[in-house]
Amino acid sequence: MEWLDSFWSTYSTLVLSTGTNVLLALSIYVTLACGLLSVANAGFMAIGAYSAVLLTLHTVTPLPLALMVGAIAAAMVALLIGVPTLRLSGVYLAMATLAFGEVVRILILNAEDVTGGALGLNGIPQLVGVFEVITSVAVALYVFLRLAHSRIGRTITAISQDEIATELMGLNVRAYKLVCFVIGAALAGLAGALNAHFTFFISPNEYGFERAVEILAMGVIGGVSSPWGAVLGGTLITALPELLRGMGRYRPLINGVILIMIILYSPKGLWDGLQTLLRRVRP
Amino acid sequence: MLAQQIINGLSLGGVYALFALGFTLVFGVLNVINLAHGAIFMIGAYAALYAVLVFHFSLLPAIFVAALVTGVAGWILDKLIFAPLRARRAPHLAPMIATIGVSICLASIIEGYFGSENLRFPLDTLPSSTLSLASAQVNWLDVNIIGLALLLMGGMLWVIRHSSTGRALRALAESPKAAALLGVNVGELFGATSVIASILGGVSGVLIALYTNSVFPHMGQPMLHKGIAVVIIGGMGDVRGALIGGFFLGFAEVLTIAYIGSNMRDAVAFGLLFSVLLLRPAGLFGQAPQRRA
Amino acid sequence: MKFSRRLIGSRALLFILVFGVLPNTAAAQIKIGIAEALTGNASQYGVAIRKGFELAAGEIAASGGINGQKLELVIEDEQGKKEEAINVFKKLIFQDKVVLLFGPTLSNSAQASDPVAQAAKVVVFGTSNTADGITSIGNYVFRNSVTEADILPATLKAAAQKTGFSKVAVLYGNDDIFTRSGYDNFKKALQDLKIGVTTTETFAKGDVDFKPQLTKIKGTNPDAIVLSALVAEGAPIMVQARQLGITLPFVGGNGMNSPRVFELARDYSDNLWVGSPWSVESSTAENKRFVAAYKKAYGTVPDQFAAQAYDAMYIAAEAMRKLKFAGNLDADRRALRDALPAVQWNGATGPFKFRQAIGRDGKPAGYDAVQTAIVMVTKRNHYVIQK
Repeated sequence: MEWLDSFWSTYSTLVLSTGTNVLLALSIYVTLACGLLSVANAGFMAIGAYSAVLLTLHTVTPLPLALMVGAIAAAMVALLIGVPTLRLSGVYLAMATLAFGEVVRILILNAEDVTGGALGLNGIPQLVGVFEVITSVAVALYVFLRLAHSRIGRTITAISQDEIATELMGLNVRAYKLVCFVIGAALAGLAGALNAHFTFFISPNEYGFERAVEILAMGVIGGVSSPWGAVLGGTLITALPELLRGMGRYRPLINGVILIMIILYSPKGLWDGLQTLLRRVRP
Repeated sequence: MLAQQIINGLSLGGVYALFALGFTLVFGVLNVINLAHGAIFMIGAYAALYAVLVFHFSLLPAIFVAALVTGVAGWILDKLIFAPLRARRAPHLAPMIATIGVSICLASIIEGYFGSENLRFPLDTLPSSTLSLASAQVNWLDVNIIGLALLLMGGMLWVIRHSSTGRALRALAESPKAAALLGVNVGELFGATSVIASILGGVSGVLIALYTNSVFPHMGQPMLHKGIAVVIIGGMGDVRGALIGGFFLGFAEVLTIAYIGSNMRDAVAFGLLFSVLLLRPAGLFGQAPQRRA
Repeated sequence: MKFSRRLIGSRALLFILVFGVLPNTAAAQIKIGIAEALTGNASQYGVAIRKGFELAAGEIAASGGINGQKLELVIEDEQGKKEEAINVFKKLIFQDKVVLLFGPTLSNSAQASDPVAQAAKVVVFGTSNTADGITSIGNYVFRNSVTEADILPATLKAAAQKTGFSKVAVLYGNDDIFTRSGYDNFKKALQDLKIGVTTTETFAKGDVDFKPQLTKIKGTNPDAIVLSALVAEGAPIMVQARQLGITLPFVGGNGMNSPRVFELARDYSDNLWVGSPWSVESSTAENKRFVAAYKKAYGTVPDQFAAQAYDAMYIAAEAMRKLKFAGNLDADRRALRDALPAVQWNGATGPFKFRQAIGRDGKPAGYDAVQTAIVMVTKRNHYVIQK
């Protein structure tokens, strides 16, 4: 078992990061599946992280409670801004949610007395391990897989295909969109809270534009036709820098090239691409 | 102090407007959020720098080199990335993610070749004359940036309104299918748009590199953020919007710093952004989002 | 059942002993890990740091190594990102089994990754981390980068004395941990010295235009401008200030101590006061040798990051010379940690020794740097040392 111990010592953080990235990918999957081009998840991740950390740093809050608070805080903010923002669609929604993420970052930066501002919060207790991360991912995945085949899942697919027709069928499209948005936010908040508790330190700059774009990339690369796409996207984006480690200075370059290749050859995402490939092999 | 802050607002606004012009063009015609625009902007700066340092060009020829290099880059971007994705009827976000990949690649190539430190143009590249105007200091570069932004906007508006290419572009922006039916060479026009937008980005890169005295591989990133804000405020896809939006954002930032407090600058800018999105999502000059046929 | 399991267990143990421990004792190389930002936004510092390390390691190798043993540098890129820093630290500690770890480049990354080294009981030696909350992590955390808290008061005092300013304006970057903690230290030093502040303005990393803030500052009539910035923003700030007709002196933090300020702010770079433990102009024999060797190897003049990395390698080597490596990784790492605090060294950055810091729980923790500040002012593209 020594190799397992050695593997775990070296790669435990990587595995945990993969888990939280899959959660983030799922959080954007749920909004993309509903046809919402929302890029706000980095902002929700920040809200989740900071809420949970402020609790565990200053009070004796048990981890599950702190995680829940993180998720709920993100969800509440989503509810608040969701109602006006979801009136927008397409690229406008994308831009609005991107702007939201930046606003969150700036607010955290300026609320120095509470959040430490640019100095961040450090010395976060290391409370999260494999159990918490795997459980969260497993539960989220299970719920989405069940939903995908249920009536709710079909409604959501219908909304993403043609909102007007769905509305005409008597379904409350706005409510569905809001629910997807809020659930996505809660997941992102949970991911943020989890991530904070195995990386010792958080600061506003890690939840900015780069993070939002990374989450988006995970969602698009994995594909939105199935929650498994999110798993694929999250895992790939986390693992890629590690796999490319031997490339030295060329690492970012190859990273970029791989991103481009994946999109060019499988624009609907890797999961979809794999399915197409499998269908060709197994007619 | 007000006079100086007005000049500051005009030049900062000009900087933002120049960048946003190219960005909004790609969005308006190709319907792609081109996140590689920042990288193209950066390439323009480096191309001009190289021309000046290695070939000892003076400023104007160096700008021409920048335009050439970024024009080619824009053409390659369309041929290699946008066109194949169009052919495959890829989902909306796919080209955007691809441009992220392009941006990473370009920054990494430049970093590998030039290093990651800030570089600058030699001092004599620019005349350093400063004018004093009603207790404000205006320099040659300020005037040029503002002037160029206005000139380019005027030029583009003229082309769009009064030339056949402009008509074709407008048709394309409205509906590529209809435009194709009407005999417009859609593929070629898409390519041309990408080229023009990239040239705009590249030239603004040179000017801003001169303005800030620094050239570094990631210089496009902060501009991209601001560019997105400008395009939202001014309206996506509209040339006037890019200009007005740029100056509007520039003034908003400058006046916030001057009269409210510099640490509120970004908060105010984004607050404005948010309000525009909620009250008038299309932006000042944009068209209300319509479902595409 | 029990019998065969025990037999397998002991066979495994033998296997491990033969192939795990023995090779370590047989190796004549000392493995040192270096985790710095070699790509990404912080890479200009990381690359300079790496050059400093490699220069020092090369010189040590040329003069016979450490008690006859060679140094093996295992260099990894942590990209300036905290998760990468953690992953890289873990790889170096558990996979490469280094006896000591240098890095990471940014204070942000250090706060995330140093706890990993502390928990694994491996010395982590930072050469560019200056923020709070790092050495308080634990007694395996060392750094030779002098914090702003120690340098800024000296700089301000010297500058105030020589130029006679009594009120200043403050300008700092509020979204970066380095410039932000620099500001906190400036604020405290200004209060202690009873120097008035006319206005405090902020900017963000990546900003291109500082004229609005500078215009406002000009309007409040200060005698000098205190600037907490890195050169990327600091140089344009100086240029734009001069263009606006502001001729006041600038007092800068650590970040402005870089020869790049002359390239980037040419003709506008005069009258900048900076304090730092190191100056490229310092005429000590050790520094002259370092600067010459660096120029010869890399073709450019070194900066503070390279100098501190260079000295750090020598400081670590000094501690290692006193040890006899037993071949047992845990014991060696512990011995190194025990030997390091007592090291005193006179290198390119001058006389150096460690001082223990207090941890978060009030008990003694990691080790900070003790060095005297050199106060300089720029004049015609040179740093002129003020005595």
